Amino acid sequence: MTSYSNGGLFNPAYHDSETLEIDRRSSSKTPLHTNPYARGEGADGHYSTGQISSDDALRRVPRGGWQEESWRGRESLPMGHISTRPRSPSWQHDINHSTFQIPPDSQYDRSLSIRLPSTTSGNMTMRRRRISMRRMSMFPNGDPNHVAFTEDAIRNEMENEEQNLVKELVALSTRDRIWAIRDLPMSFDEKKHIRSQVLAFKSAKKSRQFTCFADCSENMSLSFRRCGYGIRSARQTLELWQGIMKEIGGTFGTSVLSYFMFLKWLLMFNIFSFLVNFGFITIPQLVYSPWPNISPNVSFRGLEILTGAGYFNNTVMYYGGYSNETKVHLVEYNMQLAYFFTIAVYMVLCGIALIFSMASSFKTNYVLADPASNSAWQLLCSWDFNITNDKAVRQRKNNLRVQLKESMSEKAQRERLSLSESLKHFGVYLGAWLLSTSLAVGSGASIYYLCQFEQQRATDSANWSLLQEAETLLVPFVVSLMNLVVPLFYSLFNKFEHYSSQRKQIYALVVRNVLLKMSILAVLCYNWMNVVAVKFSCWESMVGQALYRLVIVDFLFLMLGSFFGEFLSNVIGTRLLPRLGVPEFDVARNVLELIYAQTLAWIGIYFSPLLPAIQILKFFILFYLKKVSLTQNCQPPRRSGRAAQMQTIFIALLFFPFFVGAVSMVAFTAWSLTPSEHCGPFRGLNSTYNVVEVWMVHLKETSSSHWVVWIYQNVIRSEIFYFLISLIIIVIIYIFWQVTRGRKLRIRVLREQIVNEGKDKSFLLERLQNLQKSHPDKRSKQKNPKKHSKRRPDDHSSGGQSTSNAMIQALLARQQLEKEEEERLSTGGVPVPSDISSSSSALIQAMQARQRAEGQERNEHYSAGYYESPTNTSSAVTQAMQARQRAQVEGTYDASDPTSSVSSVMMQVMQARQRAEEEDRPQWVPAPPQNPAPAGSSALIQAMLARQQAQNEYDDGY
Amino acid sequence: MGNKQTIFTAQQLDSYQDCTYFTRKEILRLFDRYRDLAPQLVPLDYTCQPDVKLPYELIGSMPELKDNPFRQRIAEVFSDDGEGNMTLDDFLDMFSVMSEMAPRDLKAYYAFKIYDFNNDDFLCKSDLEKTLNKLTRNELTEDEVRMVCEKVIDESDLDNDGRLSLEDFQTMIVRAPDFLSTFHIRI
Repeated sequence: MTSYSNGGLFNPAYHDSETLEIDRRSSSKTPLHTNPYARGEGADGHYSTGQISSDDALRRVPRGGWQEESWRGRESLPMGHISTRPRSPSWQHDINHSTFQIPPDSQYDRSLSIRLPSTTSGNMTMRRRRISMRRMSMFPNGDPNHVAFTEDAIRNEMENEEQNLVKELVALSTRDRIWAIRDLPMSFDEKKHIRSQVLAFKSAKKSRQFTCFADCSENMSLSFRRCGYGIRSARQTLELWQGIMKEIGGTFGTSVLSYFMFLKWLLMFNIFSFLVNFGFITIPQLVYSPWPNISPNVSFRGLEILTGAGYFNNTVMYYGGYSNETKVHLVEYNMQLAYFFTIAVYMVLCGIALIFSMASSFKTNYVLADPASNSAWQLLCSWDFNITNDKAVRQRKNNLRVQLKESMSEKAQRERLSLSESLKHFGVYLGAWLLSTSLAVGSGASIYYLCQFEQQRATDSANWSLLQEAETLLVPFVVSLMNLVVPLFYSLFNKFEHYSSQRKQIYALVVRNVLLKMSILAVLCYNWMNVVAVKFSCWESMVGQALYRLVIVDFLFLMLGSFFGEFLSNVIGTRLLPRLGVPEFDVARNVLELIYAQTLAWIGIYFSPLLPAIQILKFFILFYLKKVSLTQNCQPPRRSGRAAQMQTIFIALLFFPFFVGAVSMVAFTAWSLTPSEHCGPFRGLNSTYNVVEVWMVHLKETSSSHWVVWIYQNVIRSEIFYFLISLIIIVIIYIFWQVTRGRKLRIRVLREQIVNEGKDKSFLLERLQNLQKSHPDKRSKQKNPKKHSKRRPDDHSSGGQSTSNAMIQALLARQQLEKEEEERLSTGGVPVPSDISSSSSALIQAMQARQRAEGQERNEHYSAGYYESPTNTSSAVTQAMQARQRAQVEGTYDASDPTSSVSSVMMQVMQARQRAEEEDRPQWVPAPPQNPAPAGSSALIQAMLARQQAQNEYDDGY
Repeated sequence: MGNKQTIFTAQQLDSYQDCTYFTRKEILRLFDRYRDLAPQLVPLDYTCQPDVKLPYELIGSMPELKDNPFRQRIAEVFSDDGEGNMTLDDFLDMFSVMSEMAPRDLKAYYAFKIYDFNNDDFLCKSDLEKTLNKLTRNELTEDEVRMVCEKVIDESDLDNDGRLSLEDFQTMIVRAPDFLSTFHIRI
């Protein structure tokens, strides 16, 4: 009762809407009239258990019985009982007494709805839902026997369900099946049960065939699977830093963790590239000429570790250390080709890997993300289940509170922004952007002049003095310093700007940093390709050295920057200026540093094939360093931004300007620049790419594989081929683009439809409520004589009872109708429009009974029965709507339906609707001569019944 | 493979591996974790499938759960009896759903159950209020709580019935990509 009185009228009404529909179905299925007692008892038994405890019910009903039915069955129970009452009123009372001792329906409906869905039943709920969804496609409209209320029926139903599931699973391949079983939202025991059934089913099927073969294959697949699990286990053992990751996630949350994941991912990239380079370039070189030809007057002085020059100059570390010979030892190994193809294939593989991870990341994280649902997200999705640290939990709760408050005030703030204020903001943006861009350009220019200065001083000799060697560190030092200092300015600018959202702020910061790093790298590349390439005899090695220095110095600055930066600000924040507080870990800045470092490694791969080794070392140390710095100096981030989206952005950044830039730099070098004449694998060639042409010529001469030459000449070198390929790709892109647009449109339409349905529903419910509210005063005066005849001895007992009597009558009448229909169907087969007349009598009967029910109810409006009527009627309308929807859906999908009968029924529905509306109208006119309200509602009911009928006929059409 | 273990039979391990997202190693590790909670209760031999249930008090004291505001709900949702007392199977099931491999729909389904405090298969206002209070240590005023809940429902309730159904919730989850990484307990 409470649930109704406190405004929850909507929802219970909704509840019952399903009940009505369902009990109709159930009654159409079960032979009620033949043996009412048995059914009643069965139902009573259920009811009582449902009331006492769901656990009891669970125990009584064989495993999963209730669970199976829960999502419909639970809701349908109340009406189910009513529908199973015998017809005569004299019995009714007795049984009513035995069952409705704790009376009205509302309460018991509620008690059931709360108790029954225990965890497991919920599990099945979902499963049922899914299965029923899946099966909808096979049996539209579901099976009517979903709702049967005896234990047997439930058990049968459950078994059916299970059998279907098992059959579906058996049909899948082993791998898919395992995944399907895993994905079932059920408890483990249920999954296990399903699995064993599937296995049993499979083996039974197999045993009928070749037993030996089946056994063999079964064993094979089992051992394969075990082997697969073993491999997965082993891979997990190799997984780096699991414990540390957990610790970081536990104290700092997912967003900080994403930095470390990114670091690990990059580390994997580098390990792969190191293995490739080492395996295909370095090892052959070392095998054939293990000792590098270092000139004797060069000695190891220690500074080489920083500069990479001198002693290292002629080792396999750099391009210059490789020979151009074709090694003939055990097998022929062409170093030129090996060098070229290793680098090329590595770049291509990197590109593919990046594109794939970027695309999948975009798909999951970006395309569907919707910034509109902010507070829903904050409340329901933002809690980080990773966090296991008590302090972090407390802090996070605080942050969430602050964020929620902010988001509430944000909206109010945004509207108040005046023109002058927004102009001021715009001015600040403009100033900040101008400043930061000029900073980026300025640092690029200063590095350009610095490089020129350095080139003038540098000499092209093999052995430098110590000072000369140390001077080479100037450029990397300045570059790294700029990379460290300028972003600090950017963060400072950021403090003065007022971005409406944190996301925009981060994006602005990221874009500025990217600009800076791009300009620096562009200047460096320009310098290498235009100045260094001309000046030095073995210029590739010089570039390699420069990159090596950049990588090393960058590493040092990262260490210093992160350690001292975070450490110092921690000290300042805790000791000197408590206002600043403990620093947060700046994920964006740190990730950009990583991206920059990785770009250096990519550019360097051509000039210094073993640079990935340095990179691996660097990242490895960096991981531990950052971890220590983080745990010692930082606090968890105050704002839990959308980490996943940021991660996508970072991968995209890594791909687009940085990786693409590195590849084009390497490609330009390979295509256009002349390799140095006296060192390296490509000495003597016009360009690196020439190596392929030479190879082709060689192949042509040896005439062993003409197809390679053919492919080279007609595919790789032909413009037509690329032209066609790009044309085809453009066409495909266009098609997909159009498809996407169409889908977007469709999504929008469907969403609108959902919203409209919801509005429809709430509108109708509201109207019904109004209708009900306007009744009581009128009806209480005008008493229905039938009521007295019905309410016999125990008039006083409860008002709800006699209401339910009439209700029951209505329902029975409806059942009769349906029974008649069934009979008709069993004899006649295909429904024809003329049948409507025969069934309409039953219809009218039902309608009258319903009317009567309502009439009585209204009389007892002030007694307990009040809440009953809105639920019924509204549910009826809802049901009618549902029926209509379904009718429409099926109508559209099934072309074979007898259109004539459909349309006639639809016509009837429409008429009834019209009448209902017509009759409704006077209801708002005060004090009509006779009581129009019941007529209106009866017309509604009629509409509803007609709709049901329509639905029935559709059902039968199948 | 290789190293002998006598806790489970090979068939048991197979079924565990087929029904959860864990590998054999993880299963054994989880078993150790489970056993560590109550070494005297949990036998070292599970081949005969002993009927052991650890009470919620022990489960909730795991470091992974002990500071989680939803620990009780998690335990209730995944336990067979709905009161947080867990068998080993329930325990594995829980961490399997919370693992990295579990798909979005499965996670969303269980998250929905966790937030559905009154088990009525809908997230209504009272559920949201409870969630909010758990997440903010009861420090928001009543008005604010009401506002936030209204906003949440307003944003995600597609069919305008004033509460969130599972479908509403799933639609929201699809748009919140972080959910996959945050609804995750590392073991």
